[in-house]
Amino acid sequence: MIKFWNKRLKLGLLTENIELEDEIKELEKEIKDRVKKSFAGSLAIRMVDSGSCNACEAECNALSNPYYNLERLGIYFVASPRHADVMLLSGLMSFNMTPHVKDAYLQIPEPKWVITLGDCPAMQAPFDKTYAINAPANNYLKITHHISGCPPTPLEIMRGFLEFLRKI
Amino acid sequence: MRFIARYAKELHNSFEIVTIYDEKVERELISKENPKIKTLAKRYPSAIWFERKISDDLGIKIEDAFDKRPLVHQERFPRDIHPLRKDFKQIQIQESDYLPYKYEEVGGDSVFQVAVGPIHAGIIEPGHFQFSQAGEEILHLEVRHFYKNRAIEKMLEGKTLLEAKPIIERISANESIAYQICYADIYLQATKQKLPLSLKKYHALLLEIERITHHLTDLGFIANDAGFAAALSFGSKLAEDARRQMQKLTKHRFGFSAVDFKNRDIDTDSIMQWLKSLKKDIDFFEDWIVDIPSLWDRFDTTGVLSLKKALKYSCVGVVARASGMAVDRRIESFYLEHGFVMASELSGDVGARFKIRIQEIKNSIVMIDNFLQKSVEALELNQLNDGEYHSFCESSIGELFMAIDIKDGLIDRFFVRDPSFINWQALHLMMRSDIIADFPLINKSCDLSYAGNDL
Repeated sequence: MIKFWNKRLKLGLLTENIELEDEIKELEKEIKDRVKKSFAGSLAIRMVDSGSCNACEAECNALSNPYYNLERLGIYFVASPRHADVMLLSGLMSFNMTPHVKDAYLQIPEPKWVITLGDCPAMQAPFDKTYAINAPANNYLKITHHISGCPPTPLEIMRGFLEFLRKI
Repeated sequence: MRFIARYAKELHNSFEIVTIYDEKVERELISKENPKIKTLAKRYPSAIWFERKISDDLGIKIEDAFDKRPLVHQERFPRDIHPLRKDFKQIQIQESDYLPYKYEEVGGDSVFQVAVGPIHAGIIEPGHFQFSQAGEEILHLEVRHFYKNRAIEKMLEGKTLLEAKPIIERISANESIAYQICYADIYLQATKQKLPLSLKKYHALLLEIERITHHLTDLGFIANDAGFAAALSFGSKLAEDARRQMQKLTKHRFGFSAVDFKNRDIDTDSIMQWLKSLKKDIDFFEDWIVDIPSLWDRFDTTGVLSLKKALKYSCVGVVARASGMAVDRRIESFYLEHGFVMASELSGDVGARFKIRIQEIKNSIVMIDNFLQKSVEALELNQLNDGEYHSFCESSIGELFMAIDIKDGLIDRFFVRDPSFINWQALHLMMRSDIIADFPLINKSCDLSYAGNDL
């Protein structure tokens, strides 16, 4: 383990804000205030995949790597819809997933919001409508915010969360 | 003889059943009146999902199958609809009455069932796992998927190859390059052309970067599932670096639309630099991780897939190689000339699959170094010829098989067998002596695609 700690100290902090730097500095207080006021200090997100190509999930996982370190902003991915404030929905609302998505939404305590992630739930990805696809998702759920992209990069997702926080 | 895939297509007045083995292709014509076939599952157990899918898709009965439950069509799917039939043209269907699915369950005194999914606790794709438990011990697991089914096969029918490209590269994003390579190979078979060496090298370079990204992510997540979070930070940092290389090369973090027929001027110096630092980091990672006894206590002897079972279930990819099977589509002159050495382990447990990934990353670094070149060659494409074309590619998960029938310049039947489709069927074999808390670890060590499986 000593090897690891040596390496860890040498590497230092990797978290970077690149393009977001100025924006985050400006907004950090605002986000924290908003998260604090509306969500008691932590915004809990339940990610639900309704039939994606798994790129959106990979990018959400990337949000917790050392470069992006999303949790420092008070935004967390949680394991159960019952712990969540927001449902983050990716995918094409496949016929087989639709009842489960509706079910997960019902399990989220009020007040609750839905953010759609990527082009799929808005039916803007290159897929054609088939019998197995129920997208766009707004036929089934009230969508508060949409983060577009195929897939949106981790930075775009972070920016999307900020926009959502400003909106509500 | 290794079983690879089985699928059916509708012809003018009959159905054709195509069975793909590594040594041959078998075809059988059956009448449209009361269509039925015999199962292969007695000899090749993983044929059963293919056959259940054929039955759902086209309404062909599997006469002597021990398992005749629907596969893709779930509880609310309208009965007696067979969407891959040419006369099925609906683009919206209504939910029908709920008809419960009969799970494979072990019964008995104090044996209970644990249902997991389709929505899981982490940021992962949906699928269902049904455990029969005696206390902590797993007695049986049934894997049930197809929640993500988007009807890709039907969607692509009637499209030109060019129209199909953006969809094919989005079937399963973590194997996107492999899907694109199969597609490109089929395109060139149809134009009766050969891929110039410089382009072949460029495609292979992208494929190895995709493999590195995928394996690095897994190395982090597998250790994390055993409660060792430091490895996840390390692995996900390296995976992000690799993804950014892909972004630099292809203008897309997953390489969507990157595989085509022209070479770009690439910044070889920056890639060399990345390779050098990755080599150092992966050596450090290996040196560090093998020294954590509590981690290997979880890895070793957990989730064992024996060679006998791996062969019987026709496993592919990392899973097969960790159990001592020699299957890798890169065993061919082009890859061997560029430094390919097949990774291999014998113990078939989580530890073996973990070590295979480390070996493969190291080997990919060597190969990428050999694939680097300065070339801006482009290929002019000829006219497409109708026909049936098959292609294989070794994705980061395993052997990918794609078949496209072209008729009058349009796709008449598209079939793809993701490596996950085979390996998912072998997952339950790995749970024989493990407890339910080991399941996430075992599942992650195989790291299969749900999207590619469900189509």
